[in-house]
Amino acid sequence: MYSLLPLFSLIIPLSMGILHILLHPFWFLEPFFKKIGKIALLSGTGLTLITSLSMVPYVLDSEIRVLEVPQLSLYVDLRNIAGIVTVALIFFLTSIYNVKAEKEGRLKPTMYNFFLLLFLCCMLGLLLSHDLFGIYLFVELTVGVSVVLVAHNPSKLSTEAAFKYLIITAISALFVLLGTLIVFILAGNSDLFAIMNTPDIQTRLVENPHFLMLAVACFIVGLGADIGLVPFHGWLPDVFPGSTITINGFFCAEPIALILALYNLVYPFYVIYPSPVIIALMVGLGLISMLSGALLAYPQKNFYRMLAYCSIDEFGHSIFALGLLTSSISFVAGQYYLMNSALMKTGMILSLGSVFFTSGTGETELLGGLLGKMNKTALSYVICALSLTGVPPLGGFYAKLLLYNAAYEFLLPLGGIAGAVLILLLLVSISMISFIFLIRSFHRIFMGETTEKLETAKEVHITMWLPTVVLAAVAILFGLQPNILLSLIGVP
Amino acid sequence: MEIIVLAALTISVVVTTCGVFVKTTRQLIRLLAIQAAVIGLVELMFCLVNLLMGLGFEGLIDFFATFAEWFSSAVVSPLIIYWGMIKTENVNSQPIVSVKRGGIILVAIIVSNIVLCIFTSSLLPANIESLPFVSIMFSLSVLITATRTDPLAILVGLNMAENSFYPIFAESPLVLIPFMLALMVFVNLVGIFIIIEAYRDYGTMSIRKWRWAD
Repeated sequence: MYSLLPLFSLIIPLSMGILHILLHPFWFLEPFFKKIGKIALLSGTGLTLITSLSMVPYVLDSEIRVLEVPQLSLYVDLRNIAGIVTVALIFFLTSIYNVKAEKEGRLKPTMYNFFLLLFLCCMLGLLLSHDLFGIYLFVELTVGVSVVLVAHNPSKLSTEAAFKYLIITAISALFVLLGTLIVFILAGNSDLFAIMNTPDIQTRLVENPHFLMLAVACFIVGLGADIGLVPFHGWLPDVFPGSTITINGFFCAEPIALILALYNLVYPFYVIYPSPVIIALMVGLGLISMLSGALLAYPQKNFYRMLAYCSIDEFGHSIFALGLLTSSISFVAGQYYLMNSALMKTGMILSLGSVFFTSGTGETELLGGLLGKMNKTALSYVICALSLTGVPPLGGFYAKLLLYNAAYEFLLPLGGIAGAVLILLLLVSISMISFIFLIRSFHRIFMGETTEKLETAKEVHITMWLPTVVLAAVAILFGLQPNILLSLIGVP
Repeated sequence: MEIIVLAALTISVVVTTCGVFVKTTRQLIRLLAIQAAVIGLVELMFCLVNLLMGLGFEGLIDFFATFAEWFSSAVVSPLIIYWGMIKTENVNSQPIVSVKRGGIILVAIIVSNIVLCIFTSSLLPANIESLPFVSIMFSLSVLITATRTDPLAILVGLNMAENSFYPIFAESPLVLIPFMLALMVFVNLVGIFIIIEAYRDYGTMSIRKWRWAD
């Protein structure tokens, strides 16, 4: 059905962002804006969340199913609605957290709000767009804006991290551009639906398999570096400690857009030219990332670096599941895993942000005994961490279950029962490692005796603990009623 | 491939090669401007000829889009980086590899690309026959980025890598060009913003000394 709702979901954050930047030259308004800036950001993300939620009934209606603006190649259906709602929800909750957590940084409040709302717009654009050039533009813009947001932190850590991030992701964007141009030159069209559904275009693509594979490899390498998959992850462990606690929360939404964009770029070409090399690339990168992420997170003493490597592990799981392209449930498993891990990671990062806010350190060895002083934060952290590692009856349990099902279904015809069970055991072992280092971090930060420095520590403001408690409640809700999220995910 | 295109691409490769060995940031910025100017000039001339031959409004739009693209990469981007240099310093530093080693890597890159070109020449569709040149220039630009410690030189290498895509970039739809240009300028501005802030924080233009962990 033709609808302007997808367009509105982009225009709302963009126009509010532009409104902020228009205020920027009026220096005499700065004190006034400082008072209302955070509320303005909250209303921008809140309105975007409402617009996103308003699309859900249409998509679930069996007579409508698709909302589209075909002139701009913007589509909303069961393939991306869960991602859109999750991104908007993460932004809204983090905006609430931002009210008390955000202190002044390198960017003026107007510019800070502009870049955050632009960031939201870019990610929604990435999820909505089904045009190769549209995806490229949104990828580059998303990455550019996130580099600026990393540099917002006034500490010395941020500039080095931001520069490293800029260089790696700018080179990776060139790979995405190369892939896009190759496909466009071969197909003569940049609309992914047109490419998938036009036999003439498909014939032209299949006649040039080497270039098609080169384009797919460029997409995987380019977006893999933007996501932070191993071996292109060099920037990620610096960006987490280098960013402010609020920006880290907003960043949790980024992988949803980038990973689904990667799937949107790879899947149509697998349908046209079903080469096992594509699966091998996706699954291989996923496996390496989850294994390296878990093993590198284990010895970390700084909780931000631990979470950075833990994120690589989670991205690896999602890419692994989405890469099992022959399995009938891979898309559902991959997307469910992605949404759950993004939400849980947001809960954990915001909880640890509150710890950093109170204690001023990210070193777990300098912390301890915060359970009695920050009980709501501690409870949220442990629930989100347990959900992330797949402990029942939390949402993560179903994410892992679906992933293992998809992996088993994929591996059974290839390696028999022995091969399938072996890989499943590897996956379970990786989850066990995650479980150990996350529970250990909880023990180090929240249990034991309070250090002298933390004697006066107390629970953070309600605007900071409320979003984390909501996310912990989501973990329990998804555990008891996984269908809430599953009903929003459909097979392409 | 037409002889004028071949000449322009060859000159661009030579200019990019020179970039591997120059010492100062100022020289590298000049090379960036020359590389972008040469690589885009052929397309610009084609558009101008089409305009003069009387292709009308469509030709005019095409010419202005190509001119904007050329002007942005050959003038605007180098000027942004030059402004960054004025705000910081014109670093006089050798690449981290010696001239001898740099030369060996350079020859290896060019030879491997030529071999690849020979093997893939029969597979290349007519409108991406410049891909081997793109590949050589891209590899050399990445070499510049990887062998420098001056952040502005790294940014120049990044721009050179982006410029190397120009021959196939010309195939993209006209409507996208303003967005692509805005993005190119945005990325450069972001880069310069970070470099200036880092220079203020660390007081040096060597990224090796930007080590907060130490």
